[in-house]
Amino acid sequence: MHFIFSDEVVLLFDFWSVHSPAGMALSVLVILLLAVLYEGIKVGKARLLHQALMSLSISTSQQLIEETDQNSSSSDPTPVSRTHLRWFLCHFGQSLLHVAQVVIGYFVMLAVMSYNTWIFFGVVLGSGVGYYLAYPLLSMT
Amino acid sequence: MGHFHHMGMSMGMSSGDDNSTMAPSHHHPTSSASHSHDHMMMMMPMTFYFGFKNVELLFSGLVINTAGEMAGAFVAVFLLAMFYEGLKIAREGLLRKSQVSIRYNSMPVPGPNGTILMETHKTVGQQMLSFPHLLQTVLHIIQVVISYFLMLIFMTYNGYLCIAVAAGAGMGYFLFSWKKAVVVDITEHCH
Repeated sequence: MHFIFSDEVVLLFDFWSVHSPAGMALSVLVILLLAVLYEGIKVGKARLLHQALMSLSISTSQQLIEETDQNSSSSDPTPVSRTHLRWFLCHFGQSLLHVAQVVIGYFVMLAVMSYNTWIFFGVVLGSGVGYYLAYPLLSMT
Repeated sequence: MGHFHHMGMSMGMSSGDDNSTMAPSHHHPTSSASHSHDHMMMMMPMTFYFGFKNVELLFSGLVINTAGEMAGAFVAVFLLAMFYEGLKIAREGLLRKSQVSIRYNSMPVPGPNGTILMETHKTVGQQMLSFPHLLQTVLHIIQVVISYFLMLIFMTYNGYLCIAVAAGAGMGYFLFSWKKAVVVDITEHCH
């Protein structure tokens, strides 16, 4: 099989069938945004993890300082469990983001597998634009 | 014209892949598709579908025909995706552990006036033939193979199997990265 230039393609789902240049342009735009979203999710996951670690480590150190300042024998378990709950929720959100990344990655791969050159250009351009927009945000904190 | 083109694409699609290691299988070339439009068989589905009849899975002997077999395949693919995520996390941990070790080699070196000095060389990282590097290579090969298998499973366009891949990846990430993130939090607290 080889790449072809064509205005007709069926992408991913039965209802997504393209017959005209206008439809092809719209489909390329959608695929481009999908690739941009994929790159964005990659950066977003890393940033979310970093922010969660920073906030949770700050909160746990503050709790330790408070506990040593209070110098009380009655240990209060609720701050620790609240931190655990926050960490659990954050990690659950990270996992959902990971599932979204996996699914979108496979969708983009299947779109490229249609062997339509316009779609492939859309994927490549979208990955480039997504990387260009998202990766500076990675080192911004 | 679009009809032939579409069927030609579907007939020859499975042999086309940018992965050069995938051998072309038993599908007809596109030129012979033009005279067989009476019995139009979609051997490679190109859109998502939900079904469990006559689903070929990766290998020639592995065909799913019943709901029970589909359930078993769902569980197997789910576990495979979970194992893939765990393998990724395990490789990261192994790499970090093996690179932390800094080896100091001290060698006696003759100095001036006949004295003997100890010269210390510091080596960081891995040698080519060290066991951690060989282990990483073997695990990398396994990871590449499993990732291609998961891609090929997703390429069957079967809705149940694709959901199994995505759910397994999510569950694997949730279970294995949880521990890794906690460990990272403790060990890299002072940065």
